[in-house]
Amino acid sequence: MTSNQFMFLLFSAVIVIFSILTVTSRRILRAATFLLFVLVSTAGLYFLLKYNYLAAIQLTLYAGGIVVLIIFSILLTSHISEKLPTAGLLKKWPAALVALVGAALCIVVILQYNFPGSVVDTEVVNVRDIGNSLISYGEKGYALPFEVISVLLLAALIGAIVLAKKRKD
Amino acid sequence: MSAESLILFFIVGAFLVGIALLFSSIVPPTSTNPQKAEAYECGIPTEGLTWLQFNVGYYLFAIIFLIFDVETVFIFPWAVVMKEAGIAGFIEIVIFFFVLGLGLLYAWKKGALKWE
Repeated sequence: MTSNQFMFLLFSAVIVIFSILTVTSRRILRAATFLLFVLVSTAGLYFLLKYNYLAAIQLTLYAGGIVVLIIFSILLTSHISEKLPTAGLLKKWPAALVALVGAALCIVVILQYNFPGSVVDTEVVNVRDIGNSLISYGEKGYALPFEVISVLLLAALIGAIVLAKKRKD
Repeated sequence: MSAESLILFFIVGAFLVGIALLFSSIVPPTSTNPQKAEAYECGIPTEGLTWLQFNVGYYLFAIIFLIFDVETVFIFPWAVVMKEAGIAGFIEIVIFFFVLGLGLLYAWKKGALKWE
């Protein structure tokens, strides 16, 4: 087993274990904390693939921003310290059925695909390339989408403030 | 980053932390009492649970933080190539900043940055 495989298995194991803990935890704040480990391990997988920029985004946005947002929204609710009730049998069986069918579908599709065995080095996309194509307006440039993103973010900011401020009136 | 260096990083990290914990549990004299296990709160006995309902203001700050976090993601690649991009790249980022500055002005004017 190469060290790459070892790290992949390690990260995958952490992702699987903490995903299960996230959905099975009866305390919602702990579930959010377990989710943090899942997201950090996903960033680890990106680092393994040498997607450094994507990994950095995963850490700043998901592990940094989204989890903070989730934790704040949990802390806003008044029933944090209460344990969530265990789902009844009426909910458990349909949920298990749906999960099984979904998993079976995915597994069948994956097994039917014939993965061609080849060894190719991962394509390293560095931040410099991304920056160049973000601001260039030539053939492979994304200058216009880059500016449109700022309008989108502006809309998101105004929307968030309008929604959050409406509650107090 | 190669996988070998990641593994080495984890091993060294675990070793450093493990050694520190090991020594601090072996070397110093130990005494235990119920007060030591409490959450630290300026020496005053803690009252109730720490998991209490938070002010709604935190949520607004978190959302604004998240939006400027996303902004950072797009500014960072520009910052790396700033020198070679020249004046055109600079004008582009100025427009980018201007539009998001409007957002910040809006948040400011609406009092979203004020703590209530």
